[in-house]
Amino acid sequence: MVTQHGIKYAVLLITTHFGDLVAKVCECLLRKGPLTLQAIVRFTELTSSQVKNSLLVLIQHNCVQAFILEQPGSHGDGAKLNSQYIALFNNIIHRWRFPKFLTIVSQKLDKQCVELIEALLLHGRLTLKQMSDRAKSAQNEGDDVILDAVREAFIKLLNAHFVERCPAAEPVLTKPTEEETSARKRVPKSAKILEGKETLEQRVLEAATPSEALRFLLVTRTEPAADGGKDENNSSSMTVGKKRKLDALESETEGEATDEQVVLWRANFEEFIRRLRHKAFIENVRACLDDGAVIVISAMLEATRTAEKKVKTENSVPLSLNSIYEEVIKSEEGRNITFDRVRASLVQLSCPPFVKAVNESYSIDFKKIIELAQNDEVESIVLKRYGRDAYRMFRLLSSTARLLETDKIADTAFVEKKDTTKILYKLWKDDYLHMEKLQLTGARQSQFLLWKVNKNTLWEHVLDEMFHAALNLSLRVAHELEQEKELLNLPQDKRVNRLRKVRLLLESSQMKLDDAIMLFHDF
Amino acid sequence: MSRLQGPNALKRKRPGATSDSLTEHERIVHDVIQGKQDMGISQRDMKREINLPDNLVTKCLKSLLAKNLIKEVKNIQNRGRKHFISAEFEPSNEITGGAWYVEGSLDTEYINVLKEQCWRKIYGLKVATLEGVTDAIKRSNVSQIELSKQQIEEIVKALVLDNEVMEVKSSGTGEFASIPVGKVCYKCIGKRGYGGEPKVGTMASIPCGVCPQISHCTPDGIISPKTCVYYKKWLDF
Repeated sequence: MVTQHGIKYAVLLITTHFGDLVAKVCECLLRKGPLTLQAIVRFTELTSSQVKNSLLVLIQHNCVQAFILEQPGSHGDGAKLNSQYIALFNNIIHRWRFPKFLTIVSQKLDKQCVELIEALLLHGRLTLKQMSDRAKSAQNEGDDVILDAVREAFIKLLNAHFVERCPAAEPVLTKPTEEETSARKRVPKSAKILEGKETLEQRVLEAATPSEALRFLLVTRTEPAADGGKDENNSSSMTVGKKRKLDALESETEGEATDEQVVLWRANFEEFIRRLRHKAFIENVRACLDDGAVIVISAMLEATRTAEKKVKTENSVPLSLNSIYEEVIKSEEGRNITFDRVRASLVQLSCPPFVKAVNESYSIDFKKIIELAQNDEVESIVLKRYGRDAYRMFRLLSSTARLLETDKIADTAFVEKKDTTKILYKLWKDDYLHMEKLQLTGARQSQFLLWKVNKNTLWEHVLDEMFHAALNLSLRVAHELEQEKELLNLPQDKRVNRLRKVRLLLESSQMKLDDAIMLFHDF
Repeated sequence: MSRLQGPNALKRKRPGATSDSLTEHERIVHDVIQGKQDMGISQRDMKREINLPDNLVTKCLKSLLAKNLIKEVKNIQNRGRKHFISAEFEPSNEITGGAWYVEGSLDTEYINVLKEQCWRKIYGLKVATLEGVTDAIKRSNVSQIELSKQQIEEIVKALVLDNEVMEVKSSGTGEFASIPVGKVCYKCIGKRGYGGEPKVGTMASIPCGVCPQISHCTPDGIISPKTCVYYKKWLDF
C-alpha cells in the first residue's frame, strides 16, 4: 500500500537526506513506477548525467533497485534489454527508523557492532575492507588489532542477521510464466489493481536477493588452513543455489580481488522490522495482561524466531508446554516462574486470543494480535474525533462486519435515533463508514440506510492520514528550526529551551507515529 | 403499571356508557383510533383517513381526550407529531421505543446506572455468564422493575461496545472451570476501572490524528503545518 501522503513523506526524507535533484528522480519513480533511464530523463527534464548520478546515490542507499525485464516476443531479434529502475518505497521509509535499528543493535550487541551498523546505515553499502579502513582512520591502534575487532564484530552482526549481502545489481526478470499469469487471473479485479505494481516489486526483490545460504555467508580467504575447506563447501552450496542469482554474484566475485574488497554488505532491514514487530507484540500483551504473560510470550517469540521465513508471518511455530518452559527459564526474570504459572499464563493469553492451543501445543496468533492493535488504533481515533456514542456505533459495525440498518444500530448502541443518523452521516462523510440505501416501494417508510465498516479501504485511509500526520510533524520541525533563526529578539536561553522542548515533542511523536505506521504498513 | 387498571375497567363499561355520550363525528374518530390498537395513529394520518374537515377532527380529538377515551403518546419515530391511541391500550414498543424509553426519549440515566451495576457484578464474578449477571442484578434490587435476561443482555452488549467488558468463550479450564466449554461469558477489560478511557492511540494523541481539517491541509496551503492553530496550542511552551 503506497498512499499519496506516503509518497510525499518519502520524498521529503529523500530531499532532506540527498537534496532536491535526487528527490526529483525518486519522486518520479515513486509516482510512475519502474522506468528506464531515458524515461526518467524525459519525465524529470534533467540531464542524463544528473539522473544517472541520482540513481547511483539511490542505489547505493538501497532506495532503488535496477532490473532487466525480458520483453515477451523479443527473443529472436537480439532482444533489446533495457535496464529499468524501481523505487523501493519501504526502504526509503525505513530511513526514518535508523535510530530504532541502532537501539536494537545496542541492546543486543557491543559498541563495535553498533559502530559498524552505524557506518552501514550511513553509507548504504560497504565492503568489509571499507569497514576496516573506516575503523582504522578513526583509531590509532595497530592495523591487525582493528582488523580482527572489525571482523569479529561483523561476524556477530552477521550471525544475528543484522547485516546481509547486497542484492544482485541487475537481476533479469523473465516474462511472467504461465503459472503466474493464471494465478493472477484468479485474483479478483480490485485486488489485482492494488497488487499489480507490488507484484513486480516483489518479483524484482526476490530475483535480486541472494539465496538464503549465501545471504549471510562470509567467505574469508586470509586464514588458509581453516578456510580452504570452508571455501569448497561454499562453492558447492553455490551451485545448489538459484542459477540466475549466482550469475550476478559470480561476476562480482570473479577476478583476483578477495571477497573482502568486493562483496558489498548492507543492514538487513527485514530482520530489524521483524524485531520491531516482535517488540510490538510484547508491548500489546503488556498493555492488557500481567508480567507472567509477558515473559511467556517473549520466550515463545525467542524460541520460534529463527523459523520465521518472512516478516508478515501469521502464526508462530507450535511449541509444547515443556519447550516453552525450557525457554522461559533461560531468561533472568523467568527463573522464578513455576511450571503451573506458565500454564496459567497460557490460559490468560488465549483470551483475548493471542495464543492458540491445539493438541497441547501453543502458537502465537500474530495476525490476531495485529488485527486487535489496528482496531484499537482506529477506534481511538473515532472516540477522540466523534465521541463516545460514535465509538460504540463504530465498534458495533466493525465487529459485525456486515451491513446494519440505522435503527438497529441505535438500539444496540443505546443512542437516540435522531442522533444516530447524524453521527453515522458524519462518519460516512469522513470515509469511516460505507453506506447503502435500500429503497422499498409501497411501504410507508420507503428508504432505509444500511451501514458498514469496510476495513480494507478504511485501513488504507487511516494509513494515508498517518503518513500525512508524520509528514506534518517533520515539516513542523523544519519550520521551527527555520523560525528560530528569525526570532532573535527573544532572549537566547529562552529560545533554545523552547526549541528543545518543541523538537523533543515533535520528534518523539513522529517516532511513536512511525510505530503505528509499521503496524498498518509493515507488520 | 397501576394505570393499566383504569382503562381496562373503562373498556368493560364502555359499550353502553360511551356510545351514548359521543357525537357521531367523535365516534368515527374514536373507531379509527381504536382500530389501530396498540399502534395508535398520528393526527396527520388520521386526517388523511377520515374524510372530515381538519378543525372538526381536532375538536373531536379534544373532547375524546377530555372524556379519557383516548390518550396522547410520544412516538419515538417522530416526537414532534401528535400521536393518539385508544385509552384501553398500552402503546407498543414500536411507538415507545421499549423499556429503555421514557416519554419518547432514551432514558440514558437509567441505562447508565444499569451499565455500571452490571459491570460491578461482572467484576465481582471475574468471569460471568449472562445468567450469572441477571441473577446477581435480581438479587441486588438495583432496579425496581424486574429485568429480563434479554434486557440484561442488551446492557452487557453495550458494555462490550463501550470496551468495558469483553466477550469470551469458556475454555473450561482455569478461571472458566465452573462454566461449560464453549459458553459465552463476559470479563472486565484488564487494568482499568469502570468508565476509564481506553488507551489513547498514537494518532489520537497528536493534533493531526484528530484534526477535522486534515483533508484540507497541505504543506504550503492556507491550512498547513506551519500555520496550524492546533499545533500552535500544542507547542505552546
